[in-house]
Amino acid sequence: MKKPFFLLSCMVILSIMLSACGAAKPAEPTVLRVWIQWGDNPQQIQTLFDKYTALSGIKVEVTAPIEDDKVLPALTGSNPPDILVLSGGDLAKSFYKEGLVDELSSAIKTGNIDTADMFPAPLSQCQQGELTLCLPWGTDAYALFWNKDLFEAAGLDPEKPPSTMEELVEYADKLTIVGADGKLEQVGFIPDHSWSHNDLYVRNFGGFWYNNEGTQLTTNSQAMIDALTWQQQFYTKYGVTNLQAFSSGFGEYGSPDAPFYAGKVAMMVEGEWQVGPNFIPALKPELNYGVVAFPPPAAHPERAGTIVNQGTVVVIPSGAANKDASAKLLAWMMSPAIVAEEFCFNANLPTSKKAAADPCFKDMGPKFQVFVDLMSSPNAYAVINTPLSFELNDALSSAEEAILYTGADPKTTLDAVQAEFEPKFNEMMKK
Amino acid sequence: MDNPGVPERKILGFQLPPKVVWTKRTKADLRTGLLFLSPWLIGFFAFTLYPMLVSLYYSFTIYHSKRAPEWVGLENYLKLFSDQKFFISLNNTIYMVVIAVPLGLFASFLCALLLNLKVRGQAFYRVVYFLPSIVPTVAGTILFLWLLNPQVGLVNTLLARLGIDGPNWMADPNWAKPALILLGMWGMGGTIIIYLSGLQDVPTSLIEAAELDGANWFQRLWYITIPMVSPITLFNLITGMIGMFQYFAQAYVVGGGDNLGRPLNSTLFYSVYLYQNAFLFLKMGYASAMAWILFVIILCFTLLLLKVSDRFTYYAG
Repeated sequence: MKKPFFLLSCMVILSIMLSACGAAKPAEPTVLRVWIQWGDNPQQIQTLFDKYTALSGIKVEVTAPIEDDKVLPALTGSNPPDILVLSGGDLAKSFYKEGLVDELSSAIKTGNIDTADMFPAPLSQCQQGELTLCLPWGTDAYALFWNKDLFEAAGLDPEKPPSTMEELVEYADKLTIVGADGKLEQVGFIPDHSWSHNDLYVRNFGGFWYNNEGTQLTTNSQAMIDALTWQQQFYTKYGVTNLQAFSSGFGEYGSPDAPFYAGKVAMMVEGEWQVGPNFIPALKPELNYGVVAFPPPAAHPERAGTIVNQGTVVVIPSGAANKDASAKLLAWMMSPAIVAEEFCFNANLPTSKKAAADPCFKDMGPKFQVFVDLMSSPNAYAVINTPLSFELNDALSSAEEAILYTGADPKTTLDAVQAEFEPKFNEMMKK
Repeated sequence: MDNPGVPERKILGFQLPPKVVWTKRTKADLRTGLLFLSPWLIGFFAFTLYPMLVSLYYSFTIYHSKRAPEWVGLENYLKLFSDQKFFISLNNTIYMVVIAVPLGLFASFLCALLLNLKVRGQAFYRVVYFLPSIVPTVAGTILFLWLLNPQVGLVNTLLARLGIDGPNWMADPNWAKPALILLGMWGMGGTIIIYLSGLQDVPTSLIEAAELDGANWFQRLWYITIPMVSPITLFNLITGMIGMFQYFAQAYVVGGGDNLGRPLNSTLFYSVYLYQNAFLFLKMGYASAMAWILFVIILCFTLLLLKVSDRFTYYAG
């Protein structure tokens, strides 16, 4: 009776030792899971990752788009995805602070990823001092779109967009039409058209809501006050209720009835995807329009070509089962050929300089090239993020609403935000 | 007192059942009862009580997803009392509780009275009134956003025909909550059904006796129908109030995820701000403190209503 028991014990101990040896060097996985927070075309993304399967023999299962509320439970759970693509850099720093994602220095080394090939602006949204917390995959930039037909109808030169912010205001007034009943029929420019563009305006006024290093909170800086005062004038002039009522009748975003396509708004700040095959060329091919970098203030011509990048970033969850395999897949995703293929297809901007030289971007026409060229601008910035970003951005949105829609004084409103968040920010910086 | 031999036991003015005398039989009955209850009990302990207690603990900590929570004592609770948005969200929620719940009860009672009339096509009308409540919340809310669109919406178009310049509804902080109240009233079919069942329990003998005594329609309604359905009113009031304190889905759909609380925090309800803190700002400890304060508020309001209800509730039995 004792002998079989002894044998069985030996077998158990031996199998534990063998499995322990195995744990020291995990076997190459057969499946990797990639979660992507965006994705209008999941099939296309899966087809792209199938190329990695063909190359490495490792199956890649892509979930795109993944719902936001599934990300946090997965990262805190025991089985997170091997690669997570976030739709913006703002969460990467919060996740790193909570220990949910890895710092990527070793992955960059393992995968031999060339960060020098990346445009500095989108890369900066992933950096925190010496640390790299994510890698930018694709990015967006915003520029000024103008409707040439409406320019001509208003007696403006259709080939000459405004060259300063002051001129833009002047043009906007000429392009705004008020009906006999006092209601707006056409508007020259709405500063927060579709969503807030305060980041672009505040950069043009020479600042941001953090200092450039992200170590100081500057929500009530002169640049912030100037940017919001500049936007406020449109609402003051055209009337808040009038402008809101006019805006509420706009057609759906991304439909042929969208206000810029329908000639209701003569100038707008929009992103590069608008000139790609899925938007204006598909929805309103006859639209006679131009695209140019958003103009700087007249007193600061050196700020010409200002853009603020934000876009998709890739992180490796700290609980990923096989970090080496994740790093290799990350390196493949960051290779110029893959970046070019993915972002040409979606008409978004590549983060790799080599990818930007791919002919597929040129094939999208000179309007898309305006955005590609802006990526190399000396005034190309990225949105600065800290672990406080989500909460602060929410407060800044409320402040912007109060300033634009209720006529609140920009300085007083921004002072209140600064007073509320400075202690929180300082406390966060100490940790 | 029903049983003069057994001493009366009360807590906070509420009557408790008489003390149990433990015999072999009662113990065996308890075991059997617990056995039959066990599926629910296990679910309750694992999925309700345990998370509640853990959230109570987290409310005294700074919660970290991967690291152990940091004990901070009452800090989260104290911070709430200096958080302007906490009070804005509480105000917005109380506005809905105070305005939307009584208004909803009044409107559903009126509808139930109409649907209780013996008219041709009664069943059809009942179905029509109930239909909106089976429309999913998200679909119903999006539909309302279109109906209330200031430029092209049906409501403002009809108002314009009457010569009224309709408001900006969801874009105007003064009209956003009334618009949500309208949306809530559109889906009050469930409350109407409960009232309807209550109305059918009002004894016809009482109505007939009042008629013989010369009571008019309003007197019959005021002195017989309303007191007879008062337990239903209490039930609808308490469930409506609890639901309104937890108001979330419609506000979340209106905000579209990125614009929660807009315009100007006028739709920032308590549960929306709690969600923001927990899942967007990653402040789970703070959100847990908010959840417990909400629990205490709802508990106090419910106890208060139950206490006050003695004065206006009539139990025929």
